[in-house]
Amino acid sequence: MPQPLKLAVICSSNMNRSMEAHNFLSKKGYRVQSFGTGDKVKLPGAAPDRPNVYEFGTPYDDIYQDLLQKDRELYTRNGLLHMLDRNRRIKPHPERFQSTSEQFNLILTCEERVYDQVIESLEGRDSQTTPVHIVNIEIQDNHEEATIGAFLMCDLVAMMANSDDLDNDIDEMLQDFEAKCQRPILHCLLFY
Amino acid sequence: MDRVKIEKGTSTEERIVELLNSAATDAGDQSRVDHLIKIQELIIHQEPALLDNFVDEITAFQHDRAADVRKTVVGFIEEACKKDPELLGKVMHSLQLLLGDTSIAVQKRVIQALTQLYKVTLLWLARAPSVTQLMEKTWNMLNQMKLQIAKMIDHDNDGVRTIAVKFYEMLIVSQTYPEPDSIRKENEFSLEEIPLTLKVARPRKLEEEAQLMLEDLMKYHGSAHISSANLMACMGSLTHIAKSRPQFLDRIVTAMEMLHANLPPTLSKSQVNSVRKHLKLQLLAILKHPASHERSSNIKTILGDLGATPQEINKALPSAEEIAKHPR
Repeated sequence: MPQPLKLAVICSSNMNRSMEAHNFLSKKGYRVQSFGTGDKVKLPGAAPDRPNVYEFGTPYDDIYQDLLQKDRELYTRNGLLHMLDRNRRIKPHPERFQSTSEQFNLILTCEERVYDQVIESLEGRDSQTTPVHIVNIEIQDNHEEATIGAFLMCDLVAMMANSDDLDNDIDEMLQDFEAKCQRPILHCLLFY
Repeated sequence: MDRVKIEKGTSTEERIVELLNSAATDAGDQSRVDHLIKIQELIIHQEPALLDNFVDEITAFQHDRAADVRKTVVGFIEEACKKDPELLGKVMHSLQLLLGDTSIAVQKRVIQALTQLYKVTLLWLARAPSVTQLMEKTWNMLNQMKLQIAKMIDHDNDGVRTIAVKFYEMLIVSQTYPEPDSIRKENEFSLEEIPLTLKVARPRKLEEEAQLMLEDLMKYHGSAHISSANLMACMGSLTHIAKSRPQFLDRIVTAMEMLHANLPPTLSKSQVNSVRKHLKLQLLAILKHPASHERSSNIKTILGDLGATPQEINKALPSAEEIAKHPR
């Protein structure tokens, strides 16, 4: 039996896409953690030029209370309060990928910019010989896409978790998966 | 005070014996792994003085039926030898057996361990007041394994090939001399550590071997049958070598130019995108090194073709001062 996969799902703010996937994958019993790669956690505000900005590490609950107090009606209508309520049940606060020293076998990212930031962060570390696969699936940052994205990631992880030898099988699996999901996939191999 | 110490020492020893007995009798594969990991923690981090006493008992688990247990033994051997290189003479034979294991995962773990222990062994030889017969025998065994690993770059299993690429990278950097503008990692090993008088491992021969291995690695990098994942592993290794050993930068840039012009025909469309993106990142990293100055116009042309923006390229270019400092 191979060791179970240790995986990370990563988006920009560790709020929507990565948390939807985190929720989904952990319910299926996978060893999963989630992160964001942005400088700050950004959520839509009352106007496009007035986003709500928080530091990584600010508890989801604090953000929930802050939005509740700012405009309960708006943030209920646009689903942010619902999303934060879900998030605070999964883990205490958003985490920044660049600050973690945890190691994973597989890292799934939700957009090319995030994939680039993950690679930049890993390449800046002192690498040894333990492989980590980084796979990007393009998912737009909205509720519907986040749900579809979580399903796709779950399909992919199920395939990979069934493999006895992921390093040998991954190229072929990604080709099969790409044909099925009809979205462009990026993949690279780095080392811890 | 002394009494307390002795009691503490005895109890760790007793605890280890207890854990060894449990590991020997436990039917669950994962439980045996857990026991061995606990023993490793106790010995390596708490009582390294006990290493010599227990190393044989722990390496005996190399014959365990479960691959995960055998992998754990390899991990133990790696950590134990890093802590006390004198153990290398005792355990090299176990590693040799495990390199021929039936499980691919165990084989890969052995290559990973040897990627670390190769440098430890060279340093052990270099620092010894005199090279004993046991040291020579150990080094010869390691050399046989090195040849086996070198061949694994053509292994049937893609993951084994990947780990072999990392072994090549380590060997090429370790068996060459740094230059004044080499980017050096903390605790990086190089031929500077080996005295010219070391008969069993002559620096000149080691350097020649590294050169040949670089040729092989570049050949593999340019081969038509290489998988997308291994191509990226190779690119990463060559970039690291170019930055650590700028004497090879020119050849490595040429290899990347050839790759850019001739991507393996077996890659799918999205693999081509991934590889091109990875090549862009590697070339930007190489461009940052002042030794790339003479090749910078070629690199910039390829980068432009790979979709790098002028801002990205300008950001990567070294300053005039850094270029001026670069030895010609």
